[in-house]
Amino acid sequence: MNTKRWMWSRIFGVIFLAMVSILIAYPQFVSSVPWIGSAISSLRANLGLDLQGGIHLEYRVDTSKIPEEKRGEALQAALSVVERRVNAFGVGEPLVQLSRSGSEDRVIVELPGVKDVDEAKKMLKETPYLEFQEDNSEVVEKSLDVLNDASKKQASEMLSRAKSGEDFAELAKKYSKDPGSADKGGDLDFAKQGKFVKEFDDVVFNSDFTGGTVWPDLVESSFGWHIIKKTDERGDGDVREVRVSHILFPKQTIDFLPESERFKSTGLSGKNLKDAFVDYGGGAGIGLPQVSLRFDDEGARLFADITKRNIGKRIAILIDGDIVSAPTVEAEIPNGQAVITGDYTLKEAKSLVARLNEGALPAPITLIGQQTISASLGEESLKQSLSAGVVGVLAVIVFVILYYRFLGFIASVALLLYTGLLFALFKLSSLTPFPITLSLSGIAGFILSIGMAVDANILIFERTWEEVRNGKGLRRAVDEGFRRAWPSIRDGNYSTILTCLILMWLGTGFVKGFALILLLGVLFSLFTAIVLTRALLDITLGEWAEKNLFLLVPKRKRPDTQIL
Amino acid sequence: MRPLIQQRKYFYVFSGVLVFMSITALSLWGLKLGIDFRGGTLLEVSWGEEDVLDQSVIEKTLSDVPGVSSLVIQPSGERNVLIRYASSDEGINEAVLSELRKQDPAVELVRSEFVGPSVSDGIKKNAIVALFLAVAGIILYIAWAFRGISRPVSSWHYGVQATIALAHDIVITLGVFSFLGRFYDVEVGASFIAALLTILGYSVNDTIVVYDRIRENLIRSDGKEDFESVANVSLNQTLARSFNTSFTVIIVLIAISVLGGESIRSFSIALLVGVTAGTYSSIYIATALLVTGNVFRERREARLASISENNGKHPPKRSRKLKNRGDSSGIQGTSSGSVDDIVKSASVSPSLSEKKYPAQNHASGSSERTRKKKRSRRRH
Repeated sequence: MNTKRWMWSRIFGVIFLAMVSILIAYPQFVSSVPWIGSAISSLRANLGLDLQGGIHLEYRVDTSKIPEEKRGEALQAALSVVERRVNAFGVGEPLVQLSRSGSEDRVIVELPGVKDVDEAKKMLKETPYLEFQEDNSEVVEKSLDVLNDASKKQASEMLSRAKSGEDFAELAKKYSKDPGSADKGGDLDFAKQGKFVKEFDDVVFNSDFTGGTVWPDLVESSFGWHIIKKTDERGDGDVREVRVSHILFPKQTIDFLPESERFKSTGLSGKNLKDAFVDYGGGAGIGLPQVSLRFDDEGARLFADITKRNIGKRIAILIDGDIVSAPTVEAEIPNGQAVITGDYTLKEAKSLVARLNEGALPAPITLIGQQTISASLGEESLKQSLSAGVVGVLAVIVFVILYYRFLGFIASVALLLYTGLLFALFKLSSLTPFPITLSLSGIAGFILSIGMAVDANILIFERTWEEVRNGKGLRRAVDEGFRRAWPSIRDGNYSTILTCLILMWLGTGFVKGFALILLLGVLFSLFTAIVLTRALLDITLGEWAEKNLFLLVPKRKRPDTQIL
Repeated sequence: MRPLIQQRKYFYVFSGVLVFMSITALSLWGLKLGIDFRGGTLLEVSWGEEDVLDQSVIEKTLSDVPGVSSLVIQPSGERNVLIRYASSDEGINEAVLSELRKQDPAVELVRSEFVGPSVSDGIKKNAIVALFLAVAGIILYIAWAFRGISRPVSSWHYGVQATIALAHDIVITLGVFSFLGRFYDVEVGASFIAALLTILGYSVNDTIVVYDRIRENLIRSDGKEDFESVANVSLNQTLARSFNTSFTVIIVLIAISVLGGESIRSFSIALLVGVTAGTYSSIYIATALLVTGNVFRERREARLASISENNGKHPPKRSRKLKNRGDSSGIQGTSSGSVDDIVKSASVSPSLSEKKYPAQNHASGSSERTRKKKRSRRRH
């Protein structure tokens, strides 16, 4: 009674499993049924890059400049920055993950379906490095003053040497810092009034300046200090032209410096920015678009300090070393929020916000590995490997049916159920947080596992035949076959499982995909080859089998032939 | 029943030739390491409608690109060309591509791979660790699986002989790829190592099946049959299944190798070669090795026995007789104290004469123990 119920429950189990896996694996059968069909066919196996084409990029994250205890944090930050940028790219199902190899931290990016490698790399690699800097003009000016004093002193010395009659052209060649004229002995050629900067012009065209002499004083202009010698003169009135030579000792003022040199780092950078957004300032009514920033805790503290010591001065916001905005601080800002007011159009404000939100990588990244596969190659690989799989399965089925007859047929049914189950597993896993990615190597592993899946059946059937030959009845022989083949099956699969685990642990990409699928295949095939085949045999074997033993056991394996 | 074990010397010769050829190929040509191990770049480009450029023309064009060194160009399929070069900076790829597009604007990038030096170092290291772990794991596993039997061949022997059979498979696979690398520019990468490990894991299966059967038959025969014939019977009993299980795997591997496309061809060929070699070795070599090992052991023990019998003089060639066809009655059959005593004392120090031997009691005590052990084993 109990055994009968057990048998029926197994029958239902097998049928149920078969239905479910066939439905999921081959939804074409039910595509006409409205909602079930579409729901099931929307399940897709997660295909690897080598099957759908795309880009695989591997970056090294340089954390050497980050203190040990903050590395994990920095890596996570780098990961989320890369993720944001990848998402901005708008590809189907990008993959961004951290991996550690030896002492090296890496970020792996997979962009399925993306064709333009260089565009993608640019997106990821061009690190907008966001930085906040504070006004440093005073310090810069002071250091410039020192430089300028030295320059002026040198100029005075040179003036006395020029006046004492040393060769002016020689001195100019040697000491003048005017790149345009130094080589020509300081000669500036004939020029009309108004050609030079005012201070210089005034002296040159001064009627007291006589030809062939050096002007007795240093002439200071915005360029620096000039020593001027008049060499020639022609024309009169409006067409009067004067020819002078000069020696320039330059002066540097803060206005000539690039703006970025007027600021210095504050230690506040993109890693402290929580987010940025556009809003409208100006109290009542519609104000101008402005950019609001929010810092994290550490950023808020830093920002409070910075604003406190820089009231009335400017703070520069730099991206990749360019100042994108340099607002003036009006008051200390303790709450970690800042506003960049400026002459922004809405579009400009939005693009700035986008760039700020892209953020900056907390650590620089370098490309160390790359793989691209064109979509057409991927498609071809998929087609070829699947057709290899189909041919492989069919060949195996033909072989086992020819050799093991009805038993082989049952094994073939189990094998087909196995492929259905595994495909269903791939598809269902895409709903879980751990989708199994089916790559080309995975398909290879899958096909290989088909060949291995029947191994267990072969061991069982050979053993069954042996038992039949030893004179046992068919039922007993099948029982014994399963029981006695089990240690060999188990022992044989351990080693494959072992190598799969090693490969999954130490391998990357291709190797990992292969090992994972092969491992799953081995485990599942153990189930189908033993539990399913057993159930199928229990269901199908009956009196007919004993009567038509030739369908199950070849003559040479039967006890009666032994006598002959 | 086929006398497979009795004919082992033919299989030894066959395997010996294969292994010798493989080792020669390896030492002459080595393996062609792919960019996985060396680092560098691999580009596969497809040509447009026009004629594919001559290899030497491509070579000439690209060798001028700064940063490109050890350039290898290899046609693949009808319109595709594989371009390999050493480079530490992947920026060079752009330059290479644009140089090719100057020749033919329709050139398209089919796939590219760039492996930086730190990545290839990691792959190399992992490959070695993986191979080491796999071999160690499998030896330990076999030794563990056969821990139950120790008569007449001890369990670690099974592990060692199975490992020798595995080494045979691996060496032949390496040899074939050395040949393919030399004449067909086939490179080995991380996937090749994966193939080797898979071969290791799979080939040992068949060996284990046979060894399992030997264990079973040994227990059943209860020491009445000699090891060689037990081994031969076991081998014959498992022949069909060893062959059939491997055959199904070989079928699917042929399917992948032929139909699976260029991208996994070398991987599947490696598997195919290795699994074929593994099938052969587990049928014809692994069990034969066990028997040969056992014969050597018996011969050694018999020689030691005769040393003692001859009072420390060197033995006559008589021991030769004992080795024949596993005739080991002197070792297994009897439990007469004399043989055991002799074996024991001789194994302590063959050069000691009986007179000088200090503790005869001790020796007989140990023989007592040996006998007990034997009896308990038989109960298995």
